Amino acid sequence: MNFSSPLTILFTLLLLHETLYSTMADQKFIENTCKGTPSPNLCLKILLANPKSQNSDLTDLALIGVAAVKDKGVEIIRQIVALKSSKPKLRPTLNYCEEAYHAVVYADVPSSSEALRGGLAKFAEDGMADSAVESQACERSFSEHGWMSPMTDSNKAMNDVANVVRAIIRMLL
Amino acid sequence: MASSSPSDLENPHATCSYAPLPGGTGDEPTVSRHPKKSAAIFLVCAFLSLAFVVALIGVDKAELNTNEAAVVLSRGRGVDKGVSEKSFRPLLGAENSYPWSSNMLDWQRTGFHFQPKNNWMNDPNGPVFYKGWYHLFYQYHPDAPVWGKIVWGHAVSKDLVNWRHLPIAMETDQWYDEQGVWTGSATILPDGQLVVLYTGSTNESVQVQNLAYPADPSDPLLINWVKYPGNPVLVPPPGIDEKDFRDPTTAWKTPEGKWRITIGSKVNKTGISLVYDTEDFKSFELLDQVLHAVPGTGMWECVDFYPISKQGENGLDTSIDGPGVKHVVKASMDDDRNDYYSIGTYDALKGKWTPDNPASDVGIGLRYDYGIYYASKTFYDQDKQRRVLWSWIKETDTEASDISKGWASLMGVPRTILLDKKTQTNIIQWPVEEINRLRTNATVFKNLVVEAGSLVPLELPAASQLDIVAEFELDEATVMRLNDVSDADVAYDCAKNGGAATRGALGPFGITVLAHEGLIEHTPVYFYVAKGVDGNLKTFFCADQSRSSSAMDVDKSIYGNVVPVMKGEKLSMRILVDHSIVESFAQGGRTCITSRVYPTKAIYNNAQVFLFNNATAATVTASLSIWQMKSAQI
Repeated sequence: MNFSSPLTILFTLLLLHETLYSTMADQKFIENTCKGTPSPNLCLKILLANPKSQNSDLTDLALIGVAAVKDKGVEIIRQIVALKSSKPKLRPTLNYCEEAYHAVVYADVPSSSEALRGGLAKFAEDGMADSAVESQACERSFSEHGWMSPMTDSNKAMNDVANVVRAIIRMLL
Repeated sequence: MASSSPSDLENPHATCSYAPLPGGTGDEPTVSRHPKKSAAIFLVCAFLSLAFVVALIGVDKAELNTNEAAVVLSRGRGVDKGVSEKSFRPLLGAENSYPWSSNMLDWQRTGFHFQPKNNWMNDPNGPVFYKGWYHLFYQYHPDAPVWGKIVWGHAVSKDLVNWRHLPIAMETDQWYDEQGVWTGSATILPDGQLVVLYTGSTNESVQVQNLAYPADPSDPLLINWVKYPGNPVLVPPPGIDEKDFRDPTTAWKTPEGKWRITIGSKVNKTGISLVYDTEDFKSFELLDQVLHAVPGTGMWECVDFYPISKQGENGLDTSIDGPGVKHVVKASMDDDRNDYYSIGTYDALKGKWTPDNPASDVGIGLRYDYGIYYASKTFYDQDKQRRVLWSWIKETDTEASDISKGWASLMGVPRTILLDKKTQTNIIQWPVEEINRLRTNATVFKNLVVEAGSLVPLELPAASQLDIVAEFELDEATVMRLNDVSDADVAYDCAKNGGAATRGALGPFGITVLAHEGLIEHTPVYFYVAKGVDGNLKTFFCADQSRSSSAMDVDKSIYGNVVPVMKGEKLSMRILVDHSIVESFAQGGRTCITSRVYPTKAIYNNAQVFLFNNATAATVTASLSIWQMKSAQI
């Protein structure tokens, strides 16, 4: 093949242009998707963190979101376990929170993922709606017992991520 | 101090515990009269009335969507009631009962609603009466109390009330249903043969329709099933997304003698119902026209299509057609998780259906139920000649609670469906009559006069499993006299107007169930009557979960809708209370509301029932029969 032939150069330029164009289009798709969520910046952060998002359709973006909920949930469970040692007085409430996040990671996340793959967005939405509720319930359980919550940032983070993913899933309905 | 003479019991005006009257239609009515305790009872009642007034001021809890556990008092009702807002105790602190104890969770399991022993259930499938048995199949996830890879659970009954659980009917053992044996329907052929069409989610998550039939048709329990080797019999047609093609209906006969089914789908945001004809349930022909379509309604799940009789009091076989017949199209709207129906006319030659009232079309008009009610499906019970409706009732608590208690979801009590002959524009639904066989130990109250702003505790042996039938009459004089009206009142919306705490001149009044004695927790089911500037009354029927539980992690919506009331009709309601589910019916089943309720205190012996009238002007006269409901075998 003659690499310096004008045809080859033209072909290569066209290929680069197409790739650049489609990458820009994917980026636009992700941006537009995120605009439809309660926290567009958080949404972009989550989706762009996964390189697969560049070639994703809406279902794939939602699955990336659900995976982010799982990661956050796992991280929060670790935090709860550590808090149970460092703040033993809060243990009853921390136990409640641990059950809440256990439900997120081991029930809501797998159910939502499976529902997304099967095309039953409503069950996926339910899983993310519950994830948000679990985080709110955990946060409230501290004040219910007269304590300051040591997990406010984490609970808010989960609430926000879950609501973002829920909004993406609703676009599939 | 209320006198305790017999005339009081005949013309009661007190706000006290009522000694129930003997008589009525139940067994062993309870009669208790304790004249010597009347002073104490009066004081307790006075306190309870105050407590009720205080409780109904309400703590408008911040929605779960905010992170502040703010306690906001809604507008008070003024000093004339002698209630100071300072006397209200906020519901915070160690009083609250988290986490959920196993005592509280155990109580939630129902006594007479269908549910599997454990784990997750959703849509009812293939309901049918076959060789002397009622069959119910259902979407079942055997591994966890959350939706997942679904199989067909199975149970049988002789009476739609007592059930025998059978082995799983169909598993995910073929490539064409590897990701789930989803919803489907049964058809009985004229020769008595039974066939089932169901949706399979394939190994590639494509939605296809499959044929299955009993391995042994002479087995009345239909334990084993065979999947047609040539499955799938239908794949998504051109123009239909492979994930928008599910829930085939029972088949009905066409004028040409073929079988016809319909399957819900969507094109962009237009919900549609595809029509297929077949002679053998193995090869199908897609009709050019859809049965019906409604723009903006999104995906139609669990479509149902059936005839109802214009004049008759029986249900009709799905194939019946003719001049004395209307047809109902029903669909479950994926977008808003509600079941909608519409009454119209079916053109059998074209395979098209048209609504009588396009403003009340499928997805934008009437709902079967204004609470939690989805994926419902009817079948024709040829034994008793009635059309029976099943529906999936999900949980509205957290998944964490479902995991703790080990189960999630119920079926509603099966209901018969008939055209409402009086209005002609809606159906009426009523619990199947077999449920009445669970009634025992009736308590009857006749003509209780309940003044505006009062609360009447009803003395009952227990209050977790009840059948309540009640009739109410507003005092005519107040209704006629009422001049201070505006159209704002008739624009009442159960969901948005603050529930039973919001007082109008002519409502709310009704019955509050699963009530704790201090009304810390209670679930009012009530009528709200509004008078418009034209002098006409508009009646709303609502179920209010906003104070149903002290728990912060359960849904506390208020559900309901307008209910048509014909001239001369008293207001009537029926309430089935069964632990964590309350099913409410107004005007013989014109408007129905299913609620899920998760009290932490108003459980076991602490559950009570109160009659209330929270109107500001009108007096209400109420007559009630309350039966204890035995548990069914489930």
